[in-house]
Amino acid sequence: MSAVVEVSHLRKRFRLPLDKSSTLKYRATHWRSSSRYRDLIALRDVSFDIPEGQFLGITGPNGCGKSTLLKILCRIYKADGGYARVNGEFSAFLELGVGFNPELTARENIFLGGAMLGLTRAQLRHKVDEVFAFAELEEFAEQKLKNFSSGMQVRLAFSVAILAQTDLLVMDEVLAVGDASFQEKCFDTFSRYKREGKTIVLVSHDLNSLEEYCDRVILLNRGEIIGDGPAAEVTNAYHRMVADHALAAERDLPSDLSRGDPSQWGSQAVEFMSVSLLDASEQTARRFDTGSQMTLDMQLLVHRDVGDFVCGMAIRRADGLLLSGTNTFIDHVTVSSHSPGEMVSVRYTIDSLPLLAGGYIVQVSVHDVTGSDIYDFAAPAATFHINNMGGHVGMLEMRGRWQVEQERDAPTRAVRQTAG
Amino acid sequence: MSVVAQGSGTIDAIQRPRSIFQRNLNLVRELSITSFKLKYTGSALGYVWSLVKPLMLFGIMYLVFSILLRAGVGAFDFPVQLLVAIVAWTFFTEATSTAMNAVAGNGDLIRKAYFPRWILVVASTTSALLTLAINTVLVVIITFALGHLDLTWLSLLAPLYYLELIVLVLGLSMLLSSLFVFFRDLGHIWEILSLVLFYGSAVVFPFEIIYTHSKKLADFAGLNPVAQIITDLRHVLVEPDKIPSMASLIGPLAYIPIAITIAVFILGFVVFNRLTPKFAESL
Repeated sequence: MSAVVEVSHLRKRFRLPLDKSSTLKYRATHWRSSSRYRDLIALRDVSFDIPEGQFLGITGPNGCGKSTLLKILCRIYKADGGYARVNGEFSAFLELGVGFNPELTARENIFLGGAMLGLTRAQLRHKVDEVFAFAELEEFAEQKLKNFSSGMQVRLAFSVAILAQTDLLVMDEVLAVGDASFQEKCFDTFSRYKREGKTIVLVSHDLNSLEEYCDRVILLNRGEIIGDGPAAEVTNAYHRMVADHALAAERDLPSDLSRGDPSQWGSQAVEFMSVSLLDASEQTARRFDTGSQMTLDMQLLVHRDVGDFVCGMAIRRADGLLLSGTNTFIDHVTVSSHSPGEMVSVRYTIDSLPLLAGGYIVQVSVHDVTGSDIYDFAAPAATFHINNMGGHVGMLEMRGRWQVEQERDAPTRAVRQTAG
Repeated sequence: MSVVAQGSGTIDAIQRPRSIFQRNLNLVRELSITSFKLKYTGSALGYVWSLVKPLMLFGIMYLVFSILLRAGVGAFDFPVQLLVAIVAWTFFTEATSTAMNAVAGNGDLIRKAYFPRWILVVASTTSALLTLAINTVLVVIITFALGHLDLTWLSLLAPLYYLELIVLVLGLSMLLSSLFVFFRDLGHIWEILSLVLFYGSAVVFPFEIIYTHSKKLADFAGLNPVAQIITDLRHVLVEPDKIPSMASLIGPLAYIPIAITIAVFILGFVVFNRLTPKFAESL
């Protein structure tokens, strides 16, 4: 199979002037000091090929160079070294609605946005109705774009963006926009592209969608590829990287544990054999609804006679923020084993998940009762996703109650009382 | 029972035209029509302004220079000469001043989408050309109505001078739009230079005034392409027998402004292409 994208030894450096001034007066008075720059290396030495029909995800922490890589791929930036070659037609959605003008009507913007994609007015004329139907904006064709809500603008922009037939589709975080029902439509479109065997590059922070759609994920960090492989493998490595990073800040763990395999460490007196998440019907699950039941099932293999020990778990947001954690010791539950070779099953059941939509990481640990000897530790041990169901906003469902009381025969004037 | 309307689930993609030229041409057209539309959107009179402005300019110039200062006394049919010059000058100054912002003002497009960057410059020139076309039609109607329309075989040369003007404007536009990204003083510098050019190009008086004043000065002022284009347009459009061409005034030196025009175009092209890769990072 031929490569649709070839990227070879790509390097990119930005020169950031320390004091940017491009006026004549500045040039005249500072002509000697024009070399005051700070170099920022965005890409060090990046090489990869994308074979035809592959759905490739690119992820990494902020500032890792993924946007720069995308912009070089789209010929917006010029590389300092190496090359990025695209064989065939490509469409790039670096941002939805590029070229749209708020002063023009939706119809006029379709022609303008379409022209940015390389489509002519004659071609677009037949498509206008289809675009409005897909965007669910039929009644607003002659409205100026500035009167649209941001959701409507995104719908129009997405519908225009998918108009051009391409061999390669390059997208930057466009999944993060729009309401839930339209998002579903976007995902349907991507699934269709995947079925049609289109080559797609998707840059995203949303590891769940990367895992769901991508055949392969590239993990970038500080301008270098630090992971490249099957989606699940690389997203796990990323989870691990994020969790390690968050853990490094936690002082209470002995620092010498950080040697060796970063995902699992410890003296291995008790070892995690498997960690899985189960739904109410005891099935392994990765997607849950807010309010549903989730059980963390841990199978432990005991290697030594350890006596009483402690098993703990914690849930982190995808970016590493610790949301909640507990262990058997805190909750006064005794776990103990005196027989090496014994399998111990420990379960933690949350009857009603209080979490709202998003991606989450579960970490688990087993250690002795003093906490000084950590037997085993895994982060992430599992990941899960809470479905977006609308309603509450934020991260947690507060489970509060509203109360409204009304009194028919209240005094006509409010009596305000001031204490003491 | 009511049925909730559901948008269609898919959309069939269109194959782009095979020819890159056709795509680029289409983009130029869309961008220039858009900027032409936007210039007049929201105003009550809309496109009428594109006609009113040069007419007002003509009225003021005519009053001040022709009647009060008697700049065109003795020259053949000076009001029509003035009209021809003002239409050409309006195009020159409008095109170059909007081109200044053609790249810098479109940072969003440049940072987020790929297309050949020269399209922005060509679109800005094309937008100004639309005004030029409207004004030219207007001038033809006015002169015809006044009975001053006197087209001869020589008038067929007029499109060539217009072409020279467009080439000059494109060259300057490429130069100004790309340099302006890195050097913002250019906006003010160009305003001053434009004023110098306005008086140096004999817009509001016949070029012969410079010639009769000092032949040496005419030899120098005639090197300016704008002066040459305006003088020659007057020569071929208004009255070939009574209005001298630039060549008849300064001799073979009249080839130099044409050479300058080509040189400006090449310089603009080279500078623009040299600076293009840096646009996205600098905006």
